Amino acid sequence: MKFKHYILSFLAVAATALAQAKSIELLNVSYDPTRELYVNYNKAFAAHWKTQTGDDVIIKQSHGGSGKQARGVIDGLQADVVTLALAADVDALYANAKLIPQDWQKRLPENSTPYTSTIVFVVRKGNPKGIKDWDDLIKPGVSVITPNPKTSGGARWNYLAAWAYAKHKQGGDEGGKAFVTALYKNVPVLDSGARGSTTTFVQRGIGDVAISWENEAFLVLKEFGADQYEIVVPSLSILAEPPVSIVDKVVKKKGTEAVAKAYLEYLYSDEGQDIAGRNFYRPRNPTIAAKYDNVFPKLELVTIDAEFGGWTKAQKTHFADGGVFDQIYQK
Amino acid sequence: MRNSFLRKFTPATVALVLLSTVVPRLTAADADDLKVLRDQIRALEQKLLVLERKQEIKDEDAATAAKAAPKISITDKGFTLASADSANSFKLRGLVQFDARVFLNDNGIVNNSFLLRRARIITEGTFAKNYSFQIVPEFGGGSATAASAFTVLDANLGVTISKELQFKFGKFKEPVGLEMLSSDSWTFFNERSLATNLVPNRDIGAQASGELFNGTVNYSAGIFNGIADAASSTNADFDNEKDVAGRVFVSPFKNDAGSPVQGLSFGLAGTLGRQKGTSGRTAGYKTDGQQTFFSYAATTVADGQSWRVSPQFEYRNGSFGAIGEYVFSTVNVRPSATGAKAELKNKAWQLSAGYVLTGEDSSATGVVPKQNFDFANGTWGAFEVAVRFADLKIDDKAFPLYASAATNADEAANFGLGLNWYLSKAVRLTFDYYQTNFNFAPGSPLVSTTPLLRQDEKGFITRFQVSF
Repeated sequence: MKFKHYILSFLAVAATALAQAKSIELLNVSYDPTRELYVNYNKAFAAHWKTQTGDDVIIKQSHGGSGKQARGVIDGLQADVVTLALAADVDALYANAKLIPQDWQKRLPENSTPYTSTIVFVVRKGNPKGIKDWDDLIKPGVSVITPNPKTSGGARWNYLAAWAYAKHKQGGDEGGKAFVTALYKNVPVLDSGARGSTTTFVQRGIGDVAISWENEAFLVLKEFGADQYEIVVPSLSILAEPPVSIVDKVVKKKGTEAVAKAYLEYLYSDEGQDIAGRNFYRPRNPTIAAKYDNVFPKLELVTIDAEFGGWTKAQKTHFADGGVFDQIYQK
Repeated sequence: MRNSFLRKFTPATVALVLLSTVVPRLTAADADDLKVLRDQIRALEQKLLVLERKQEIKDEDAATAAKAAPKISITDKGFTLASADSANSFKLRGLVQFDARVFLNDNGIVNNSFLLRRARIITEGTFAKNYSFQIVPEFGGGSATAASAFTVLDANLGVTISKELQFKFGKFKEPVGLEMLSSDSWTFFNERSLATNLVPNRDIGAQASGELFNGTVNYSAGIFNGIADAASSTNADFDNEKDVAGRVFVSPFKNDAGSPVQGLSFGLAGTLGRQKGTSGRTAGYKTDGQQTFFSYAATTVADGQSWRVSPQFEYRNGSFGAIGEYVFSTVNVRPSATGAKAELKNKAWQLSAGYVLTGEDSSATGVVPKQNFDFANGTWGAFEVAVRFADLKIDDKAFPLYASAATNADEAANFGLGLNWYLSKAVRLTFDYYQTNFNFAPGSPLVSTTPLLRQDEKGFITRFQVSF
C-alpha cells in the first residue's frame, strides 16, 4: 500500500469520527443577578437554534461579581460570551488579554446593551427608617447594604448613582465625594456581588435599606414576599446598561463563533426582549418596553457618559487601585 | 439551620419576652429607659449579625480562593501539579527495577549477575484539558546483554476529541501484543513471554483510538514507520515503506456487575506493511533470561510484505487473572540483496495465570494491597502466585539459507513459576523461575555450536521494583 493511501485512509477515518462527535456547548459568564433571566432565555434560544439549524445547543451559566467574573475570563475561563454588569468589565477583556477587539461595543445595537436597568432601594415592610431618597441613607443610625465596588458591577452603579445624586443636588464632584464618604460609613458589610448583598439584607436580616439593581429588587419582592419588603424609588438614579459580547479568541478556538453571535443577537429579538421584561430588565425595544410600562417606575435617569465621561474614565477615577473609593472607604 | 434557630432566640427576643412580663408594673418614666434599652439590644443584635455575616463572607472567599488554587497531589501513582480546573497538569512518575539473576547448570555461559533492568523518569502532562504529552527516557539499558545506554523510550503527543476518538502522535507502543501493551511493572512475570518476540515494540507514527459502546469496545488504528519483530524504533526510518497496525479489544460483559464473565475480554490485533533491509527483520528472539536463541544470518535482508495477526484474551475474576495470546508473524526475506526470496511464517503463543493469595483483586495495573507491608505493625502486603506456558516456533524454511541451523534453535518452549509480593501499590518483589527447552531444525548438528543452546535455560530472576 502506498504511503499516501495510508494517510488518506487515516484522515478519512478521523474525519468521519469527528463529524459524528459534533456537539455545541456555550458558556455564558455573567454577573450575579442574571441567573433567572438567562435560565429562561437559554431555553428559548436553544429551541430557536434547534428550529433554525437542527442542532442542539447547551448553554452553561456562570455567575458572580461582575469584576470577579471578568478576571476569571482574563485568567482563562473559557467563556464563549460574557454578559456583564458594565462596559468597564468587558473592556478589561481587551485591555488585559486582547480576548476581544477594542471596538467590541459597536458590534451590536445600543452599544451592545440589549436591556437596561437602574438602581433603587429595598426596605423592610413599613419602611421603619422612613427612607425616601438618597439623603436618608447617610443619616446616623441607618444601616445600608451594598456590595463591594471593587468586585461587583452593581456596586459600582450604586456608588455612581449616589455620587450623581449628590453632584446634582450640591452642584459638584466635591459634594459627590462627601456624600459617598458618608454613605459608606453606614455600610456595615461589603459582599462581593449583588446576590450576596441580597442574602445579607433578606436572609441574614442585616441593614435597614439595600441599594439594589431594579431587577433584583423586584425579584426580592417576588421571591420573599411583597408583604415583607418594599421598593423605594429615589428621585434620581442612573441608567445601568449591562453589555454583552462574544469572547472572540475563545469562540474561534472552540469553533462556536456562529452560535455565540446568534445567542447574543437573539437577545434583541421580540422574544429575547420579552424575556428580559418578564425578568424585570427594561427592554430596549420600545414596543416590548411598552408592555411593561406599568411595571417600571418613571424617574430621572442620568447616564454614565454624561455624568462621568464614560466607563473608562469612571473606572480609573473611582474604582482603580488608589482611586476615590479606596480613599474614602476604611475597612 | 442552627444559625437560623439561634437567631430566633437572640438576646433581643429573650429580653423582649422578659420585659413584656414586667412592663405593666413599670412607671411611664421607666418606659423611656426601656425603649433605649430595647434599641441598644437591637443595635447589639445587628452588630452580632454583621460579625457573623463578615465571617461567612470570609469563609466563602477562602473557599473560592482554595478552589482557584493549583492542586498538588503526591501519591503512590506519582507527583502531580494541576491547575484548579485540572485542565493543565504536570505529572512525574518513575520506574526502577533491580534484578538478581541466577542461571542453573549453564556451565558458566551466562553470568549470574545483578542488573539494573529499567530506570525511567516518566513525565506526562495535559494542556487545555484535551492536549497531552508523555516523555519517557530509559536510563537502565533495558537488556541483560547490552551495555546500558540512554534511549528515549516514549515521546508522544495526544489530542482528545472525545472518549470515542483520541489521537496520538510520536513514539509509543504499536497496538498489537497483549502482554506488550501491559505495563512491564505489572505483568504476572518480571519478563514478558516468548510470544512478545513476534510483535513490534515502540514505533513512530500516528494513531486513532477510543472507547465505543459504553466502554465495551476499545479500538486502536495507526500508521507507523514499521519495525521488525521485537524491535523499537531508533527514530530514523530504515526504509521508505509504512506499516498499518490495529487492534480491537472487546469486553462485552464489562457493565454486567456481578456476572462471572464481567472480566472477560478478547480481541484481535494485526499489522500489515512492507519491510526492507537488515533492519526489516528481527535482530533476534530472546529467552526470559534475555539470551538470543535465534537470529538471522548477518547477510539476510527483509524484502517484501510482512504481516502479523494476534488473537488474544484476558480474564479477571476477583483474585484470579489469566491472559493468553497467539501471534502469527510473517516476513519476506532474501539471503542477500539478490538471493532467492522466501516468506517465513513464525508462530508463538503464551498463556499466563495468577492468583492473589491474600484476597485482593487481580489487575492489569497492579495489585493494590489491602494493607501495605509494615513489619512494625505486622502487616504483610499482598502475595500472588503465577504460572506461564509459552512457545515460539521458527519456520523450518528459515534453515539453512536464511539462518544457521547450527547456531540457532528453531523452537523455544517455556514454562515459568512466579511469586509476586506487593509491599505496597508502588513496590513489588518478584521471584520467578523460568525453564526454556530448545528444539532444533532438521539438519542441525547433534550439539549446537552455540554453547547457550546446549542445555535448557533454567534461571531464577528476582526483581525489586518501585513503579509509581
